[in-house]
Amino acid sequence: MQATPLQPVLIKLLIAIGALLITPHIGELKPSFIAIGFGLLAWRLLTLWFPRALPNKWLLLPLAVGLVLFVSKTFGMSLGRDASSSLLIVLMGLKLLESKSARDAQAVIYMGFFMLITPFLFDQRIELAIYAFGVFFMLLFALVINTSQTNTLKNIPLLRLSSIVLLQSIPLMLVFFLLFPRMIGPLWAMPDDSSAVSGISDSINPGQVSNLALSDTTAFRVLFNGRAPAQKDLYWRGPVFWETDGKSWSLTPPRKAAFKRASPIPKSADDYQYTLMMEPHQQFWLYALDTPINAPNKARLTHDHQLILHKKLRRNIAFQIRSSTQVHFQQLSNDDRQRALKLPDNLDPRINAQVTKWSQHSASNKDIINKALTFYNQEFFYTLKPPSLHKNPVAEFLFETKRGFCGHFATSFATLMRVANIPARLVGGYQGGVFNKVGGFYNIRQADAHVWVEVWLEKTGWTRIDPTAAISPERIEHSIDASLQRVNGDVSFLITPPDGLRKWAQQLTWMVHSIDYYWQNTVLAYGPEKQLDFLSKFGILDWGDMVLWLATLSGLILLISICAILIFKKDTLDPVQKSYLVLCKKLAKKAGERQQYETTSDYFKRAIQHHPEQAEALKSLQLLYLKTRYGGAAEQVFIKKALNFSLR
Amino acid sequence: MSLTLSKRLSLKRFIKGETAHQPVIELNHRRIFILPSRAGLSLALVIVLMLVASINYNNSMGFIFTFLLAAAAQASTFYSYKNLSGLAISLAKTPASFAGSIGHLNISVKELGERERFVIKASHLNQLTTFNLKKDLSLLIRLPVKLKKRGWYTPETITLSTQFPFGFFRAWSPLLFKQSILISPQAIDAGVPLPFSKHDEEAGGSASNQSGADDFAGLKPYQQGQNYRQINWKALAAEKGLYSNEFSAEQSANVWLDWQSCDQLTVEEKISQLSFWVLNCEERGVEYGLRLPNMELLPNHGSSHQHACLKELALYGQS
Repeated sequence: MQATPLQPVLIKLLIAIGALLITPHIGELKPSFIAIGFGLLAWRLLTLWFPRALPNKWLLLPLAVGLVLFVSKTFGMSLGRDASSSLLIVLMGLKLLESKSARDAQAVIYMGFFMLITPFLFDQRIELAIYAFGVFFMLLFALVINTSQTNTLKNIPLLRLSSIVLLQSIPLMLVFFLLFPRMIGPLWAMPDDSSAVSGISDSINPGQVSNLALSDTTAFRVLFNGRAPAQKDLYWRGPVFWETDGKSWSLTPPRKAAFKRASPIPKSADDYQYTLMMEPHQQFWLYALDTPINAPNKARLTHDHQLILHKKLRRNIAFQIRSSTQVHFQQLSNDDRQRALKLPDNLDPRINAQVTKWSQHSASNKDIINKALTFYNQEFFYTLKPPSLHKNPVAEFLFETKRGFCGHFATSFATLMRVANIPARLVGGYQGGVFNKVGGFYNIRQADAHVWVEVWLEKTGWTRIDPTAAISPERIEHSIDASLQRVNGDVSFLITPPDGLRKWAQQLTWMVHSIDYYWQNTVLAYGPEKQLDFLSKFGILDWGDMVLWLATLSGLILLISICAILIFKKDTLDPVQKSYLVLCKKLAKKAGERQQYETTSDYFKRAIQHHPEQAEALKSLQLLYLKTRYGGAAEQVFIKKALNFSLR
Repeated sequence: MSLTLSKRLSLKRFIKGETAHQPVIELNHRRIFILPSRAGLSLALVIVLMLVASINYNNSMGFIFTFLLAAAAQASTFYSYKNLSGLAISLAKTPASFAGSIGHLNISVKELGERERFVIKASHLNQLTTFNLKKDLSLLIRLPVKLKKRGWYTPETITLSTQFPFGFFRAWSPLLFKQSILISPQAIDAGVPLPFSKHDEEAGGSASNQSGADDFAGLKPYQQGQNYRQINWKALAAEKGLYSNEFSAEQSANVWLDWQSCDQLTVEEKISQLSFWVLNCEERGVEYGLRLPNMELLPNHGSSHQHACLKELALYGQS
């Protein structure tokens, strides 16, 4: 490509594309880089009206070096997700400032294509995919504008061409998407630059869970094969907390110490089987319907019925899990008993006094538990905006504020139990979920995050006790309506809406969630496992097969498109010529074919000899034809006459 | 026409092009070749980088857009091809061109495919021109060419190429025409006076003007190739521009331009001198005849006569 100058309209288009490419990064990358990116674009835009503001290379070079140094200083030498995205934003802005020729523009567009996929490293929502598809089209169009040196964007043939190319490339893209062998794991270790993901974390303090109640984002989705349990039985079990320091509960000491395998639970016909689509939450644990009895691939089932993944979950994966809601008695080892009774050092004396009051008049542990639950039921309030707690949260909550959320109830209840010498542990997870009638699956949101307690009883072993249910049974019967939470702390629950408009709104929400579910489940989760699983249905079992089929199918697509171009060629004859040939065919019956050396006049003369009765008609046809050939306006008349002509 | 395998694969076909047997070449799949351009090779690098990023993060959307870009590049090859195919190319009549000057190859491009064409480059030797073409139209492209020798000139390979639509691929079609262009000899006035043969006197031309340089008859704008002795220096000194003196001898009605009359010149110089006379006489409306050692053209005038004379001179000694 020679140094053809850039059309201002192309520069404007590239600036617009640049802005559209940076926009999805707002909120993901450091604001300074977003600002630098937009700043460089704005600078380039200004130079369209003030060409003297265009930087020369003595300004540009130090600027480039400085900005790149800034990036490397911020992120270090490792080129991870954040670093490469930021670097691309900066480089694209600089390249655009420096662009003078069509070749520079080509480079800017190439950078744009790379930048297009960087937002997906943060988030792969369907909206973002549609957005990126639009930007991809704009990039293609910019390429066409650049190559054809067009000076306007309102070029319909070029717009049409770009969209046709885009549509035509979809089949080949799909073949590659399905068949290109996916590799497991990264090619090299990447810096751990995961942004904070909401959800249950590896330590629980009373106030934490209430923050989640405002979040409508999906934690995971569950599709039951067959029947599903009742809403109140949907306890999604996550990490199990044994250790507390009086303020919070945590997963320390190192989780590997707790990695005893679970004692096997026999399968039964009452088990629930389901597929759980987990959103990447950057944690080691997996959630499952209480109690999971088998471990899916890539996970193991521990002694305390946690599902622990081999690696932190960084992408959408579907798990096949089997759970039983029945009680399974389990012996308690001395080791575990000690852990489950361990109390924090600085226990408030009021707690001891309270527990002693209950245990004096109780025949069994069960009585103590019931008394405690009654205590909660009578004196406590369920609210999302509890008063803040300070030094000794459990005692302050139990005897002073008495207002709280599941985190408060569960942590305080577990402490009470341990004081009463009943082994207790805390379970983090989710409760309930919104059933999507359109997609037939449960959507478990962050708002469904929940914490409850398990106590060990002589007869039943580890038994779930949910103090929240004692205070606010609605919480267990219905899910929280995150969209209706108010600042004053009143909790709203999802109850079937009575009237038309809200019902419609609910239908719409279900629909959107269903689309999102299938998007996650089919497109985003299409990784190495799902690919093998999907392709094995077609008898494609390994890499060799995949490559073979990839080559065959893409070859086939190419062949079809070549054939389409060569066979369905447009008729290049003009209508006059076509009707002339029709006429000649009619005459050829008697007069014979027109010879190569014969002119039209010669041929008509010969034809008239064969059809003397039609002499007049033929002569006028001949004249008309010659007239059309020499630029007359007689085309329509000739076509009509030639086609109507008949030799009776 | 089918090609043998060795012809089909010969490098000449890709670079120089098949020799055309017809005067009009219609571009089709047999004449259009396509390979990635330099920008296409950089695109391959970009795609590989995108693929590595997608694999590294196991990112489905990354894969989708990487493959979409690759597929779009693939699909664009058809449009590069379609941008060239269905064009009918022929060498059009060239205006009279003289050896030693810059002439023009006139290439006629006709659109037969009912498609609009974008940024097609036509190149011949180092000369290059870019054109767009609306559907159903034809266009005359002029490519300057340096003409060295008189006689028949066969153009080298004319290459039509395009990088449309995305610049990833370059489709090209090398065209080698059989037709030749007649290059007239360089017209140089060596200073030999216009000859007046005996024919002339017999015909009763004004004998008093035989020398051709006697009577000043007026001024004419200077003609390229005229002898400097005819330049009117006074006019030049007065900054009126280049004018040449005109003498009454040249106004005579019938002139024989004779090979014999410029004996002391070399063959090429003779031819140049005769060509100059031809142009000169034609311009003045004088009837002139041409007499070469092996042939003779009777006195006449008009552009076809001039053309015939120049053709004889151009091909003299070249059989």
